Amino acid sequence: MPPTVELERIRKSYGGYVAVDDLSLSISPGQIFGLLGPNGAGKTSTIRMMIGITEPDAGVVRIFGAPISRAALMRVGYLPEERGLYRRMTVRANLEFLGQLAGLSIATSDQRMEAWAERLEIVDWLERRVEELSKGMQQKIQFIAALLHEPELIVMDEPFAGLDPVNSMQLKDVLLSLKTIGKSILFSTHRMDQVEKLCDSICLIDRGRAVLTGGLSDIKSSYGRRFVQIDYDGDGAFLADNPMVESLNDYGNHAELQLKPGADSQALLRDATAALRVRRFQVMEPSLEQIFIDRVTRRDV
Amino acid sequence: MFEISLRNVWIVAKREYRERVRTRSFLLSTFVTPILMTTFLILPTLITTSTARGMFRDSGRPLRIVMATDNPALAELARGEMSREWGSQYNLSVDSSVSNQERQQLTNQLDLEAIDGYVWIDGDARTRKEVVLTTRRLGEFAFQQRMASALSYAFAAERLVKGGYPAGDVAATLARVDVKVVRSGTSFSAFNALRGAAVVLLLVFIMFFSLLSYGVMVMRSVMEEKASRITEVLLCSTTANELMSGKILGTGSVGLTQMGVWIAMAAFAASRSVYIRTAISVLEVAPSVLLYFVLFYVLGYLLYSAIFASVGAAFNSVDEAQQWNFVIILPLIAASAMILPTATTPNSMVSIVSSIFPFCAPVLMFERIAVHDPPAWQIALSFFLLLATIGMALIVCGRIYRVGILMYGKRPSARELARWLRHG
Repeated sequence: MPPTVELERIRKSYGGYVAVDDLSLSISPGQIFGLLGPNGAGKTSTIRMMIGITEPDAGVVRIFGAPISRAALMRVGYLPEERGLYRRMTVRANLEFLGQLAGLSIATSDQRMEAWAERLEIVDWLERRVEELSKGMQQKIQFIAALLHEPELIVMDEPFAGLDPVNSMQLKDVLLSLKTIGKSILFSTHRMDQVEKLCDSICLIDRGRAVLTGGLSDIKSSYGRRFVQIDYDGDGAFLADNPMVESLNDYGNHAELQLKPGADSQALLRDATAALRVRRFQVMEPSLEQIFIDRVTRRDV
Repeated sequence: MFEISLRNVWIVAKREYRERVRTRSFLLSTFVTPILMTTFLILPTLITTSTARGMFRDSGRPLRIVMATDNPALAELARGEMSREWGSQYNLSVDSSVSNQERQQLTNQLDLEAIDGYVWIDGDARTRKEVVLTTRRLGEFAFQQRMASALSYAFAAERLVKGGYPAGDVAATLARVDVKVVRSGTSFSAFNALRGAAVVLLLVFIMFFSLLSYGVMVMRSVMEEKASRITEVLLCSTTANELMSGKILGTGSVGLTQMGVWIAMAAFAASRSVYIRTAISVLEVAPSVLLYFVLFYVLGYLLYSAIFASVGAAFNSVDEAQQWNFVIILPLIAASAMILPTATTPNSMVSIVSSIFPFCAPVLMFERIAVHDPPAWQIALSFFLLLATIGMALIVCGRIYRVGILMYGKRPSARELARWLRHG
């Protein structure tokens, strides 16, 4: 089966500003894919090209193994970053309208929206105007709108933004259940905790360029176990001068540090026990957040 | 990017139509306008009826005018003519002195408001065929005209009598000639009667306001979609062209619905009341005028709504768009300024050129057709230019729309708009 989405060296600039530069990525069927990056990194621009809203200046976009076509786009569901619904129309009228544009009959979209409303516990809100709904509620409606036509590829720009913990959990459950029935899901976020819990693969972009791409576990292991936490008593000043330490966060009796590539954590432990009274010494796999910060701040060095 | 899907255009248009028709402002304008229209048509008739005339006179008091002259016989002739024509509307008195003291005294009386004005008729005035009316009531145009014609009559009568013409025949000889206008069979001009003129002018104004308000409606609707970011959702399953076409068609149908309701109301009223039936037939508006009205409305709307849609897409708020709005509305404002000159001189060079100019044609060519058959080539030329301009506008504005709807943030400069045009 061809990749659900394939971006090959795409580039997009607006005026003099390069939003996306030489970006390549590939999403396999049945995968949850995370598009990460700080604000303004080019996530939304990338997504827009992926679903044919804009065209890249250079490079190739393929979805379901073929260049973007109207037929292919009918198999895509899109949740934009900013919630877009007609405020003065009822929830039902909004969903019927969007369902029709996605190729459904009114009867089918009614039937499906009711099933979704049941599942997301918003049945009572179907006949209300959108402007009467809370933000979280509107987001659920938007979410249903993206899924009404049962797309094979679901593209969500910051789906968790503005959701409370209960709704976040509900959304996470839905995404996982969609994955089990074989849908491909791409979402963008700058919140690492969700990515770690949900994603199979990620692409970290910064200033329009991919700085890290691949399976989540591969990335973590390739990054190495170079993160160390130490709880200690004594004077931790020697850690800052130690040639094995690349970066350090010293809290006085707790320090988090990153070793230089090739440095041996055992050697550091020996140095530490010589200088300090060590209560805890732990070598860890980096969290995605640490990788993210590391990659994004390293650009300035 | 893709060919237009008519299904999508239809879905977008249907939503637009449904939402617009349900708004309070639509209901209000649909049902209040006929009341205003009826008032406009009835009011002029009311004003010209004799019973109502009194309502429009200054507190019922006749104008007090003194005619100062060294030729009282002439002044009496004019006074007689005035009272024969206008009865007791004017209180005219003759003063047989034209000395400087007399002038001073009359001026004093004027200051004390003992009189409303005085006419100075000395020998000089008779040779120059010009008299001076000194008054504070500068707005009494009717009086000025009537006084002029009464004096012309008096001068002519005086000369006739001096030349030996029998005094008894003078009045009959100088009697005024009236022109009565009858519509020719082939003409669809409606401008042959005062009421017909009122209807045509009303239609022209409705055209002007409809083009403006429905154009602005399209603009606001585009801005709303852009502000609520729903455009992005829509663009996933439709194209910008489909969105724009659907929006223009949907909103335009609202305008046509409104006119349909008005025609239906008129027809219903006519079927129920003999009086209204007579009133409508008296208006003497040929059906072809209504046909041209709809035609020009549709074409004008297509032109202006396309332009307004692109403005709505390019800017984030009505405030931001203001400056460009003015540029767009300019030809419509120019057209509205030409409405009255075109009614009175439909074949002047200015009227012809402005009615062929595509941005004014919907208002002014319609008006010329309604008031005075213009040559066929002029109608054809204005249609051709209008259609060509609509085609251009759809292409150019479609490009701006396509780029604009995804541009948030700061207001685009004219240079940026030009770049969108090239790359859109």
